[in-house]
Amino acid sequence: MWEQLFEMIFKPDFLFSVIRITSPILFAALAAVVAEKAGVTNIGLEGIMSITALFGTLISYWTQSWAVGVLGALIVGIALALLLGFFALKLKTDIILGGIALNMIGGGGTIFLLYLFTGLRGNTGELTTPEMLIPQVNIPLLKDIPVVGEILSGHSLLTYIAFFMVFLTWLMLYKTSLGLNIRAVGENQNAADSVGVSVVRIKYIALGISGALAGLGGAYMSMYYSRSWNSGMIAGRGFIALAAQAMGQGEPTGSMWSSLLFGLANALKNKMEGMQGMSSYLVASIPYVVTVLGLVIYAVATIRRVKKTRRAQNAMTAPAGEEK
Amino acid sequence: MKKLIALMLALVLSVAAFGCNNAPADDEKGGEGDGAKVYNVVNLVNGNLGDKSFFDSAESGLKELADAGRITYKTIEMGGTDADQPTWKTTLDDVSSSGEYDLVICGTYQMPEYLNEIAAKYPNQKYLIYDSEASQPNVVNINYKQNDMGYLVGVFAAAMTTETSVANINEQAVVGFVGGVDSPVINDFLYGFIQGAQATNADIKVDTRYVNSYTDTATAKELALSMINDKGCDIVWGVAGLSGNGAAEAALESGKAWFIGVDSDQELTLDAETAAITLTSGLKNIGQSLVWFFDEWDAGNGHFGENILLGINEGGVGIVTDKNFAKVAPQGVQDKVNEAIKAVSEGTIQVGTAIGDETGAAEALRESVRP
Repeated sequence: MWEQLFEMIFKPDFLFSVIRITSPILFAALAAVVAEKAGVTNIGLEGIMSITALFGTLISYWTQSWAVGVLGALIVGIALALLLGFFALKLKTDIILGGIALNMIGGGGTIFLLYLFTGLRGNTGELTTPEMLIPQVNIPLLKDIPVVGEILSGHSLLTYIAFFMVFLTWLMLYKTSLGLNIRAVGENQNAADSVGVSVVRIKYIALGISGALAGLGGAYMSMYYSRSWNSGMIAGRGFIALAAQAMGQGEPTGSMWSSLLFGLANALKNKMEGMQGMSSYLVASIPYVVTVLGLVIYAVATIRRVKKTRRAQNAMTAPAGEEK
Repeated sequence: MKKLIALMLALVLSVAAFGCNNAPADDEKGGEGDGAKVYNVVNLVNGNLGDKSFFDSAESGLKELADAGRITYKTIEMGGTDADQPTWKTTLDDVSSSGEYDLVICGTYQMPEYLNEIAAKYPNQKYLIYDSEASQPNVVNINYKQNDMGYLVGVFAAAMTTETSVANINEQAVVGFVGGVDSPVINDFLYGFIQGAQATNADIKVDTRYVNSYTDTATAKELALSMINDKGCDIVWGVAGLSGNGAAEAALESGKAWFIGVDSDQELTLDAETAAITLTSGLKNIGQSLVWFFDEWDAGNGHFGENILLGINEGGVGIVTDKNFAKVAPQGVQDKVNEAIKAVSEGTIQVGTAIGDETGAAEALRESVRP
């Protein structure tokens, strides 16, 4: 059994698939990070991804250009997130309910939109042409290195953008005044307000960025990962991203690692499906078991660290107490 | 501003409501049939038309009947998402209580729960459910011998996978099966598939993996890619609803495998590139089975309360034998498939079924042929 598994895992192909599975989750996780940093919870990611995936496909179909399609998905993503902001910030609806509404539109509304625009109702398979698909990129030099090249080269353009976005998001959050404002609003919006930061404006901006990132995730799903859009294709990736954000402590790099962990667990699951005597129900639970394990390990580490600092503090304060 | 938004929202909602219900309410064109009763039928779709498969097939069968003046019908699309589910039962109740319809049609494994309750409430209303089973005396249950269909596809795949003269075919006798969920219906396809494959090549290996979703195309693609790259599969059969297309994409992207479709002729519904690597499709002809049912009903056999299993002879299942099948498959392979069609329809070959099988024979066979 192990032999069979190792045979499939110790292949460049396996790590390649980890990265491929991680990319859409990473986009959405970064979207969750930015929104959460500004103190707005965007649980509509699943819906935004579903709708932008559809629009990415439709726009690229109309223009026969994948680049315009990706741009369209990005803009639609921003528009949807701002719509959520409009309801939550302006009309004062509960942002969680707003997010749920977006997810529901992503489920049923997309079919209606698809029908409205194309007359199709289930999937866009028959519309696909090669011009509509995001190209794969072979990186010169890197691609010639054995193993490493096979793992890292040849991914979709958006995959590289996703990992670059981790850096950009970190840069934006920690090295720009916008990032400072976003964090300030998220930490304590009254304090931010008192020094003249427009809280609502910052929240809109953070939601907009969040929508743009989710839009790229949607485009990845329908214009690269699958060759077409179909209803239900996001299949919970928007929610997994929320978990990845939480597991990553709301930080860009942390969320990247937790997204990669989800990617790894899923890739492992896909390989184990093909093994002798493995129940597919049991195997399907692997990503979730890994998540729980990850959280346990993280919690244990945190508790240890807290205890250690407390002990150190006690050691420092104890002599002072004796003197009295 | 607020008023304007409210107005726009109302407009959007009403358009949405209208858009979803603009099913072709058939006009009165019946009455030409030679004295036979013209049935008034309602077709409840627990999803949407346009799936190029199940629901469209049922719709085309009804349309054929309506065009022949044998029925008048109305199709109601109830939507297929979780949010739509609560309306399924109320819609069933509504059409039953109206008493307007001679027959209420619905289908798929998701409906029996609701149908049992409503059919018991309206004992005088007649119902038909396809591809699933209810347990009421006023319901006729139509199912399909997907194991027979699987057998034909299995014979074809096993014969094809060693034809190394054909592009993309390697010498290994390994084929793949991407299933939706590890459930009796899906395993019925699989059971027939493996039996057919073994009948053709005793040493065949079948890599079976389940997506655990009928809409997650991306995961289906990952599974199929692993079959192709790790196990040397050169033919993958996708039996997983919309997810199945992911297997087709994997075959295309890898450049070293073929895809087989299911339920409807997928060569007609996929994009040109993917259609080009689709060898054939196993067919479930829901529409033809409805026509068959009305033939029987006209002849006085309502079959209500019965479980009917339709096979090749009734047009319930089949396999596509034109287009790529005729173009790509060598004559020897085609002959084997045609022989199998003949043998199954004549009953000289009995294909085992996974439905209602408590012994786990299908699962045991599945594990024994893994590569």
